[in-house]
Amino acid sequence: MVRKFCLALAVAASALAISASAWADITILVPSGSEGDGLRAAAADYAKMKNTKVETVQAPYANVFEQGANAGATKSGVFDIVLMDDPWIPFFAENGHLEDLTSYFKGAGVEGPDSDFLSKSLAICRNPYNSGPYVCLPYVGNAQMFFYDAAKFKEAGVEAPKTWDDVLKAAKALTEQGGGRYFGYVFRGGQGNPVVADFMPIFWSYGADMFNAERTKVTIDTPEGAAATKMFMALRDVSPKGVESYNANEVGTAMAAGTAASSINWPNYVATFEDPSQSKMVGKISFSPIPAGTKPGSSEIGHWTMGIMAASKNKQEAFDFMMWATTAEQIKISAERGNPPVRTSVFTDPELTKQEQFRHYPVLMEAIQASTPRPRHPKWPEIENAFGIELSKAVAGTITPEEALKNSQAAVEQITGLK
Amino acid sequence: MLQTGKSASVRRGGPLEQWTERHLRYLMLAPTVLILLALTIFPSVYMFYAAVHRISPNPDLPWEFVGAGNFARLISDPQFHVALRNTVVFTIVAVTLEFLLGLGLALLLDRFIRRLSFLKTVLMIPMMLPPIAVAITWKLIYEPQFGVLNEIMFLLGLPVQAWAGDVNLAMFSIIVADVWQWTPFIFLLMLAGLASLPVEPYEAAALDGASSWRQFWDLTLPFLKPVIAIALLLRVMDALRLFDLVFILTGGGPADRTKVLSLYIYQVAYRFADPGYAAAMSLFVLFVTIVLSTWFMKRMRLAE
Repeated sequence: MVRKFCLALAVAASALAISASAWADITILVPSGSEGDGLRAAAADYAKMKNTKVETVQAPYANVFEQGANAGATKSGVFDIVLMDDPWIPFFAENGHLEDLTSYFKGAGVEGPDSDFLSKSLAICRNPYNSGPYVCLPYVGNAQMFFYDAAKFKEAGVEAPKTWDDVLKAAKALTEQGGGRYFGYVFRGGQGNPVVADFMPIFWSYGADMFNAERTKVTIDTPEGAAATKMFMALRDVSPKGVESYNANEVGTAMAAGTAASSINWPNYVATFEDPSQSKMVGKISFSPIPAGTKPGSSEIGHWTMGIMAASKNKQEAFDFMMWATTAEQIKISAERGNPPVRTSVFTDPELTKQEQFRHYPVLMEAIQASTPRPRHPKWPEIENAFGIELSKAVAGTITPEEALKNSQAAVEQITGLK
Repeated sequence: MLQTGKSASVRRGGPLEQWTERHLRYLMLAPTVLILLALTIFPSVYMFYAAVHRISPNPDLPWEFVGAGNFARLISDPQFHVALRNTVVFTIVAVTLEFLLGLGLALLLDRFIRRLSFLKTVLMIPMMLPPIAVAITWKLIYEPQFGVLNEIMFLLGLPVQAWAGDVNLAMFSIIVADVWQWTPFIFLLMLAGLASLPVEPYEAAALDGASSWRQFWDLTLPFLKPVIAIALLLRVMDALRLFDLVFILTGGGPADRTKVLSLYIYQVAYRFADPGYAAAMSLFVLFVTIVLSTWFMKRMRLAE
């Protein structure tokens, strides 16, 4: 009797295991914060609608990259979809971790994503940039904007800053009046990703770039690079003591607390500045695209994009979810959950733009269309680290800006093997 | 092995029972040995294997045997040298301060601690906190604009400082946080050591007219030597692995002034996707720890 019962139990367990593995579950790796929260909420809606099971695994920013890279390198298939920061795309795509989406689009009877997506949002999802096949779909339309206290800038004689010279002029005056408690400018000076993120828009605004157009030469140590670094150091001199360790949160806090008059930051800080429980500056912060240097200003694009892991066992299901999550209807819902959109129709939707919390949408759309991606290289994390160390040294004053450029040039040449 | 009546009856059973009886001791040890192999031996062997290969993040590319290549990179990698130097500086300064403060506190409070047992509990709190909670607490204390430390500096009319952002203060700030957390550990060990000291030598020394300093130098310190050795050894081994405080407070900056070995190994392994080189660095740290521990134990005559 006991033997029969055990046998029946074993058969039932096997049947359950087989049906569970055949079930089209999707597992999505997402970052902490509003981007991950938004996709997690969308996944819950999808699961309810399709009566399926969608798992989301949420991890801090750096751990998303690590877990995704680890899953890709071991072909574990533990994640079906990864919500990636766009500079990670070359690493994931060129190391065979991402699925080419071409055949999936064909299967869906379309050539690719529709033309309602912003062109810059689509360009980053192709590898190589803007020319190769699609390896992901854009979900969160981040690009840096310039935030400033218009009233304070007006007091300092600058109506609306158009150039970095305007910013410096106002910031200098405000810092001098601030008595060590108020500053005209604040930036992310923390070593690595933070300082690079806030330097690149200035770098580009002075016509500099990390590589030449053909990507055959490293071009950091140039007269354009020197002009950009000179402006960056001048802005450092009018920033609070301690910016050498600042990241986006510290910059956002300084702006929300009304102790700094201007900064570059990501659009999700608009919600912080407009939230009375977190900000003393509700309704007082203005936005603009990145100011110009000797060339037009350009934001760093920082989109969150969804890609299918090559080792996924549920690729078609993952693609279907991605197509659903990036429809205009879903992107609008995502926007209402606090994530900037990637579609023109949502950016210009009057239902949204008439609301105070979305008043930055016209500026953000302009910023995305004028944005530049971080240099697309599979070794970008290593390049960013090396560049970030030299910039951190320059910000801390242990080396001169000229030495920082020279050292960065040598380090990036060594990492990439380019001259 | 004694053959009891019961085992003799088992012997009379089938071949399986006889085999089980013969190998029982090995069967009972097997789970422990297997767990040990899986948790310690296998990862160590795997790390050795990884350290002599170049491992591509692309799973379709085979591991390339590079022999001692990853170890040779240690010699020419400036970032490794910076991390090594910072780790050595941190370990020497932090452990020295913790030892001096811990010993000093123990000597000071030894006589009163029984009456003030709550003090012992209070002093133990930092040690019981998770390192990540300690790091976040100190990050808030050091925050340049809103941190309590700069608020006090401002109220006292002193210049505010970028505690974690200034190249000259960042390592000092990390050391202070570590000393705050781990001095109680040394203090407790020293207190236990002091409580176990024999009374007679002190009485004899007092009769001979030895001063307090003489008694401390000639009696207390030699008696405490084994405890000091264990305390220092544990703290040095722990300090060489420093990660949490640096990761949260400074991220290795500014200007690489607080980049320590654990942080650099983590970056190389997970951010630069170069686990072979990270394994070589980890083996180097393991080697240094073993050499240091052996030398230390011999010096303190613990080996015997």
